[in-house]
Amino acid sequence: MTSNLKIAIAEPSLLLRSGLETQLKRLTGFKVQLVEIITAESLFESLRMHKPDVLIINPCFPGNFTPQLLKEESGCQEMKCLALLYNVIDPALTRHYDEQISIFDGINEIKSKLEGLLVSDIPKDTETEDTQTLSTREKEIVVCVVKGMTNREIADQLFLSTHTVITHRRNIARKLQIHSASGLIVYAIVNKLIELEDIQQKI
Amino acid sequence: MYKKGKYRESDKMSDLICDNYPMVLVMSRFGIDLGFGEKNIGEVCKQNEVDLNTFLTVVNFLIEGKPVQIEHITDYISLEVLIRYLHNAHDYFLNFRLPHLRRKLLEAIEGCREEVAFVIRKFFDEYAEEVNKHMMYEENTVYPYVKRLLKGEKDPRYNISIFRKRHDQIEMKIIELKNILIKYYPGEGSNLLNSVLFDIFATEEDLATHSLVEDYLFVPAILELEKK
Repeated sequence: MTSNLKIAIAEPSLLLRSGLETQLKRLTGFKVQLVEIITAESLFESLRMHKPDVLIINPCFPGNFTPQLLKEESGCQEMKCLALLYNVIDPALTRHYDEQISIFDGINEIKSKLEGLLVSDIPKDTETEDTQTLSTREKEIVVCVVKGMTNREIADQLFLSTHTVITHRRNIARKLQIHSASGLIVYAIVNKLIELEDIQQKI
Repeated sequence: MYKKGKYRESDKMSDLICDNYPMVLVMSRFGIDLGFGEKNIGEVCKQNEVDLNTFLTVVNFLIEGKPVQIEHITDYISLEVLIRYLHNAHDYFLNFRLPHLRRKLLEAIEGCREEVAFVIRKFFDEYAEEVNKHMMYEENTVYPYVKRLLKGEKDPRYNISIFRKRHDQIEMKIIELKNILIKYYPGEGSNLLNSVLFDIFATEEDLATHSLVEDYLFVPAILELEKK
């Protein structure tokens, strides 16, 4: 499954920056959107504006900053900071970073480091087949949503808590990559979960 | 996306277009027609009374393929010209691209179950209506505001940050349609349906770059103007 990932690269060298970008764009499993930061002046402003999920930064990038300061100043507490290293460097300089990548890392090493950091938001490759297709319960919920029922009504009918219904709905959206109710209607009709007459009055 | 050095005034217009075919749409949104012969970009712009700086900034920004913040952007673009460009893009989406896609889509799904065709058509129409609303807000609220601002009239009730906050991604829902067709389309595949998919991919990309121009060129320029 593809997740969207906004990565900012703060690195003054054009060659390294574009090399890294080319590799990041080849990452499978992520739809990478890149933000380039070239000058020290634009560092904070860019982060504030784009709110990236990940910042890859050369620790020798001009300007006074620490990963903590970057996260606070730019209002992206969730942002992961990776140090981009050219060579061996005093570990004291990099210990506050969430992770580090070397310019000699291969794409698979970079990928596993990114996955390690984003573990909570990203479904792993090891997920079994059934987590990609809808469970019976999830299908029941799709039918209810398509009929126009509220979370409360769905919860009552299926003897669930609204909280559980919301979790199911989130999982459905993630699995199908369908987020709108009208998208679910198409899904339900195409997969014969429901007849058009059942929902005709709703649409 | 296309990686190439920055285009300049002295480069041939035909080279720009042949090397980066999506620029044919950009050119036409600036009001430049085909048939410019061997003329360079500067000459073609002059002949069509298009502001050269704005044209080159937009073209180079799009060809770069990734969003880059440009400092002092109002030195490089004319907001009047950019608004005309964005307006023409809206016109293209609403009055050509989407209706055209709709006709093709309906024809392609003619053979499948009636109720499937019905819900797909409904989904598309809702989508088109969303795009319409999104663009009409810009046409009716944002552009008039910017035009007043350009005349020096400040509006205490509106500023571009309001737009920035509510500027959502209109390509999201067309991605959904694409996913549904690719993963769940129940009928037989056809050349026509494949062609519809290609159109959807292209529309998605076109809408995404349209938003990039708004977020990275248009909005920052207005922010600068508001500060003046």
